Amino acid sequence: MAFNFNWSPLLADTSRARDMLTTALNKSPKPPIIVDDIIVTELNLGSTPPELEILEVGDLAEDRFRGIFKMSYAGDAFLTLKTKVQVNPLKTHLSTRPDFASPQPLAAASGLTIPLSITLSNFRLSGFVILVFSKQKGLTLVFRNDPLESLKVSSTFDSIPFVRDYLQKEIEGQLRVLFMEDLPAIIHRLSLRLCSPEFQEIEEERLDGTKDGVATVDPLATPPQDAVDAFGNPLDESQISEIALDPVGEIHASFSQKNILRLAALSESQRTLSLFTPGIRDAVFRAWAGPDRDASGTATPALTRGSLSRIQSTFGTMRSGASSIASGSQGTHDTHDTHDSRPTVSSTTYSMSGLTLGAGRSRTGGMRKRKKRVVDLRKKTTETGADTGSVNGQSEMASAYASETSSVVYEEREAGEVATPPRSPARPDLQHDEPHGILDYGEPSMLADNTASTETLTPAAPLLSEPPRKSRSKSKQRDIYNGETIKARPSSRRPPLSHNQIRQAQQSTSPLLRSLSFDKIALASPPNEAESSGGILEQAWMTKMAQEIARKVQQEKDRQGFSRDRSPLARSSKGPTGGIWASEDELEAPPAYVA
Amino acid sequence: MLDFMENVQNAFYEASHWNLDNSYGALNTTARELLDFKIPQGLRLQISSLAAPNFATSYTLGSVGVVDGSVSYLYSSLPLRKEFKSSHIDLKNVIRGYKHVQELRRPDENWWWELWHAGKRVDRKNTLLYGRVFLPQSRLEALYLRRLTPTRQLRIAAVSDSNLNNGGTILALLQNDVGKYSTEYMYSTDSALMGVRGLYNFGADPRNAPTEPTSVDQVEPVHGRFSAGAELYYGLLNKSGGISTGLRFTTLPNHPGFPYTMTLTLNPLMGNLSSTYAVKAGSSLALCSRFDFNFYSYESELQLGCELWRQRSTTDVEWAVKKLRPGWKQRTIFPDDDVSGVLKAKVDQDWRVGVLWEGRIKELLFTLGASLDLKKRDQIFRSVGIELQYSS
Repeated sequence: MAFNFNWSPLLADTSRARDMLTTALNKSPKPPIIVDDIIVTELNLGSTPPELEILEVGDLAEDRFRGIFKMSYAGDAFLTLKTKVQVNPLKTHLSTRPDFASPQPLAAASGLTIPLSITLSNFRLSGFVILVFSKQKGLTLVFRNDPLESLKVSSTFDSIPFVRDYLQKEIEGQLRVLFMEDLPAIIHRLSLRLCSPEFQEIEEERLDGTKDGVATVDPLATPPQDAVDAFGNPLDESQISEIALDPVGEIHASFSQKNILRLAALSESQRTLSLFTPGIRDAVFRAWAGPDRDASGTATPALTRGSLSRIQSTFGTMRSGASSIASGSQGTHDTHDTHDSRPTVSSTTYSMSGLTLGAGRSRTGGMRKRKKRVVDLRKKTTETGADTGSVNGQSEMASAYASETSSVVYEEREAGEVATPPRSPARPDLQHDEPHGILDYGEPSMLADNTASTETLTPAAPLLSEPPRKSRSKSKQRDIYNGETIKARPSSRRPPLSHNQIRQAQQSTSPLLRSLSFDKIALASPPNEAESSGGILEQAWMTKMAQEIARKVQQEKDRQGFSRDRSPLARSSKGPTGGIWASEDELEAPPAYVA
Repeated sequence: MLDFMENVQNAFYEASHWNLDNSYGALNTTARELLDFKIPQGLRLQISSLAAPNFATSYTLGSVGVVDGSVSYLYSSLPLRKEFKSSHIDLKNVIRGYKHVQELRRPDENWWWELWHAGKRVDRKNTLLYGRVFLPQSRLEALYLRRLTPTRQLRIAAVSDSNLNNGGTILALLQNDVGKYSTEYMYSTDSALMGVRGLYNFGADPRNAPTEPTSVDQVEPVHGRFSAGAELYYGLLNKSGGISTGLRFTTLPNHPGFPYTMTLTLNPLMGNLSSTYAVKAGSSLALCSRFDFNFYSYESELQLGCELWRQRSTTDVEWAVKKLRPGWKQRTIFPDDDVSGVLKAKVDQDWRVGVLWEGRIKELLFTLGASLDLKKRDQIFRSVGIELQYSS
């Protein structure tokens, strides 16, 4: 892996950095020789970037990064400071000593303060750097050890060895503190300015000051009540760092009590067996926190790419901690988002449906599980939508149907996906289930998309098989889960159904739903394409995957006869549970249950 | 106000005929007392006692944010007979202000100190030992003072504190004072600092003073004294040093006009020139000014200060005075005898003001001080403090 380290933009404007350095340098208690504020007058980062050697990448995504580097720097950066120093060594010496045993000179210790400009150059740094980047939280850079190897201090007093040595020693000490403590805070703050449009906005707003706040801002983006000075005056550093380090906290503060409760419920739902996930409106999730991210088009590409890389990294290790990303994506409620670019994949995968069962299966198994996790999260999103009502994506789709049906769809989908335990080897519907898996395979790029597909496809499987039987077996499971779910669900747009009711409803409506859900796919596809154009990387990847899938399909087709033979066999052995098989296979377990 | 222990040490100097003022370090004592007086911070209580003529103890409890304190003991081989009770102590002794420089005293002859008993010399050199422990900080101060000869004194001061380099520092000071001139040699373990100080008094040599008093018209009376001195320091370890020279002219007690003192000190290395002028404008008022100028950096500084002695009120005897027969000749009270306190104030060119009020309430000596910054309107008071002393 390689990084393109763009050093030049950092050179452009160092005024802010200068200001912050000034503040930082004056924060800590100064040595007695320095009798005035230290002012950074010149800061040049030089033309040579530091060398970074990646030692470990702990977390990698589009919007996040965590890694450990070995950094070494031998560039031509320089820094010029201005201050006033006490040049009488006797005075500075005696000022730190107790009076009792002091010679107490009469006038030999009288002071002479003279302005001093110090130039620090020839920095030689080497150390281990922990770099954590998050789009929302900015860049955090921490030195694990003391990085300062050497530097050259040149000042007006180079001719006086004592003063020179003293300055060198003192400045090195100060710089060590700076590197270990202050620099991380400064970099963090700078990064927030550069990266987070939200923060930038706040800053600008503050800088503009007089301008009327005509433009309505996302409530989440309201400026935190911090004490950042509007005119670049020295600030209270502790305050700065506080703000800089915890912008999220500020944002959270603007959540309503209700939303906080919902968030709590959401996180709870990940830990329990409950399938319920509360809907959260206007929730800002980490990955798309900017105020402009509401539009699905902008948000998705970033997400997809992130998830893509994520998947690549976790390819071998299934069920590693991928859930975090998925949960991040879960925030996209919009219907558009959810449909995003899905159909392309689904169409391809459909054709190969049954094929994966055979040889391909073992290989895709791991991926499938991973995909499933993603699927599940998306499902949550849609559930959310359904729950919270007409505004959100799910309901939008659902609006075409009767509200009841939509709810049933929801139930069914949920049940189908959740029904993991019984494993029935084969059944004719395989085709339709398989695509599911493969869809997911293509899926990871579009995080929020699956909802539509899962919704539509899962029901589709029972439709092709014999509805009554399967729906019954499903409904059994549904009973188990639904009971729980319904109980847990606080938003009672739909009255809790008894098990019998559910079963009846599902039995009666399922065929219809299934057919409808197919329609849905068709409906959903056109907008998706438009939206999917957002991420080039994603598209490229999609096409690649599509090709690969097509190739696989071809391969599978050769073996199709075999698999066909096998599937009925298996089915005959475990006939009654066949309906569940699909769901089990594809929708093995929601991420929350995956260890 | 002088610490109890400082007061006892001064008494030791006095008893052993050592003139503290005849030293280059004491050249501008007057200006320092009027301009650089220490303003107490927080609350400080001191209980002290001269339990025996040779032994003194003192306990201090202070509260500046945290409670701290100190315990100190003093031993003097010379019995100290002075009054140290806070109820009877002379305020002029413990409150320093304008310093009247006295006529130089002829140093004791060596044989004056000799004590012979049965053909053997039995006299001991007078010694003072002093130790003080600051409790939470675990800092120890120790002083060893020894009168080697009537014109020579050895003073060793040590501070032990874990916060200091090498765990502490020791200063050894060898002082010679023959009246006409005085020299001091010092060595500090801290960065191996060595120093020399010298003061020369122009005018008559007290050693050659006529043993028989001559008539006034024979010798022109001297009303003032001119002194010059210098100091030189060099730190062996940090290879840095310091130098200064100073001049002083001060009036002697027999000066017919108001007493005044002028000093001029110069630090040629750092280009610092400092001049002070202090005048005792009345029996209870002294004024002082100091002007500092640095001819390298062109920085200057001006400080003004004054002290105002408050006479003891006579309200409690006023009724009796009124009843006196008009023809009765009232015995005038000597003004210096009855003072109840002193108010000191100083101000500098940045409008930083220091106010100090020292005096006695009942049997307690108190010091009440505040430092103000008139430029900061929102936070004028920088610090306020009170010190209470009781000694028996």
